[in-house]
Amino acid sequence: MTLSLTELAACFEGVIPSILCTVGADGTPNISYLSHVTRLDDEHVGLSDQFFSKTARNIRENPRAALLVVNPHDGAQYRLDLQYCETVGSGPVFERMAADLRATSAQVGMTDVMRLRGVAIHRVLGLRAVRSPLAAAPPEAWRGSALPRMAAVVDAFADRTELGEIVDAALDALEAAFRHGATMILLHDPARDCFVTLGSRGYGRTGIGADVLPGEGLIGLSGKEGRAIRVSDASRLRRFGAAVEASSEQENRTRSVALPSLPGAMSQIALPMATQGRIRGVLFLESPKRLAFSAEDEAALALIARQLAAAIALSEADAAEAAPDAPIPRRPSEVASPHIRVVHHAHDDSVFIEHDYLIKGVPGRILIHMLEAFLSAGQVDFSNREIRTDRALRLPGLKDNLETRLLLLRRRLEDKNAPIRLLRLSRGRIRLHVAGYPIVISDRKSGAQ
Amino acid sequence: MASGLGMVLDEGLASFLEEPVMIIVGTQADGYLPEIARAAGAVLEADRAALHLMVSAWQWPETIANLRANRRITATFSRPADYETYQLKGTVTAIAPPTLEQQARATRYLAEIGEVLAGFGLAPEISAPWRVARDLLALRFVPEAVFVQTPGATAGQKR
Repeated sequence: MTLSLTELAACFEGVIPSILCTVGADGTPNISYLSHVTRLDDEHVGLSDQFFSKTARNIRENPRAALLVVNPHDGAQYRLDLQYCETVGSGPVFERMAADLRATSAQVGMTDVMRLRGVAIHRVLGLRAVRSPLAAAPPEAWRGSALPRMAAVVDAFADRTELGEIVDAALDALEAAFRHGATMILLHDPARDCFVTLGSRGYGRTGIGADVLPGEGLIGLSGKEGRAIRVSDASRLRRFGAAVEASSEQENRTRSVALPSLPGAMSQIALPMATQGRIRGVLFLESPKRLAFSAEDEAALALIARQLAAAIALSEADAAEAAPDAPIPRRPSEVASPHIRVVHHAHDDSVFIEHDYLIKGVPGRILIHMLEAFLSAGQVDFSNREIRTDRALRLPGLKDNLETRLLLLRRRLEDKNAPIRLLRLSRGRIRLHVAGYPIVISDRKSGAQ
Repeated sequence: MASGLGMVLDEGLASFLEEPVMIIVGTQADGYLPEIARAAGAVLEADRAALHLMVSAWQWPETIANLRANRRITATFSRPADYETYQLKGTVTAIAPPTLEQQARATRYLAEIGEVLAGFGLAPEISAPWRVARDLLALRFVPEAVFVQTPGATAGQKR
């Protein structure tokens, strides 16, 4: 049977290191391990040039090389005879491999050691399977049904119009279709330039409101660079904040929510949610299994992430123009209800309800604005348009993701089981529900109102 | 490198080579064509001036043929836990069926390296095709140079 490089796709997933042997001008062989080998076409492979000087010199002196690659699904070994062509230090092949390497380095904390100098392009002169006492499983065995699964997920959210429904439908459908473990959807907050968790499935807690900085970990790297990043064997993964136990005390101290994590995650994939040239967020999936996401899954999930970005953008645009209702005055009674202590710190707009950290940034500012309108005029119904145009709120403009911020605020109030809630009335309209009488203390002004 | 003379390996390195570490063998065919194989364990001679590498002639016939033709050999020993790696270069002076002791050592090595890899999440059935004991031959390897290949500042340095 003649093998083709296409059939060896799994060998190029970067799970099990490949082994390269070269021979110098004096006839001495040299062996090196390669972290990344990529298939360029049916006749060429690219090797990550992190070579020790001996290998680089050997290749110049003698362009023939032997490569041993392993299929991570069954351990089957393949021998490639190579002829060196050239080394490229820029262009799409180089950029792709450099990004893969950065992702790997970020996980294992070896950023400085694993720097890509170039991609050494080799022609494949021969290819054969190494004898094995075990029968190799046919490569087709791992081909999934990514296309039907993708259709099912997109179907689930494509007709939804409200942001919260879109996020929930996508999370539920992804879980049902891929059965992988855990999922997070994070949206970009341009005001603070970070990715904020808007919903999740499969973790012990939702993590709604947790931030990831651009470039931080797999999620931040994917969001910053706008490319899919996949890890198939994270046995040495050092996850940021993995050891951090989420607690109210910790949230109160740091004024931030810890990112949830899946203990023992072995496979992870982060996909940029981009549309119209703008990265709106990151879709992140993880699994306790090795090799949970194939190259085909990556393609399907990348398309799902793009569809999700488009649906979210549309939902933002639709909700923007709802007109305000006539206000229904419901002046709160201070005497009849229990007091709710709400503290606002103006420097980061962080809000604490009954001493528990809730949220910071623009959503915090919006909540305080609503509570003050409720206290002074009894207003409980608000429209996106009036929030957007209220100068006191200093919203960053039309592209401010107001729907996202309101959803984040609503979900966070639910997560914390707070005595204040936001109810969605209709597209672009929300109602403030306060189970008590809020005492708002803000250091923005002189004191309590 | 290559003074052509053998050398005595220090005790620390000698015991490292006998640990359950990944062993890769590099050889060359006529015309300087490189070849790769895996070894199924190493046994040091008492004076630490030579070692015996066990290699399956059934799985890696090209490597055995190369060594019968020109004797040049390189072997890399790498510990999966920390990637501590040494590359030894030298000459094969004899190729023979393993002694009972060498055979037993290979059997133990293949079981141990399977366990080590399993500890890193690689199921024994995945590493099984690399752990083959069929038609073992013992290659008597006289090292002439040792290089540190652990990733980092000292990589590639002669030891």
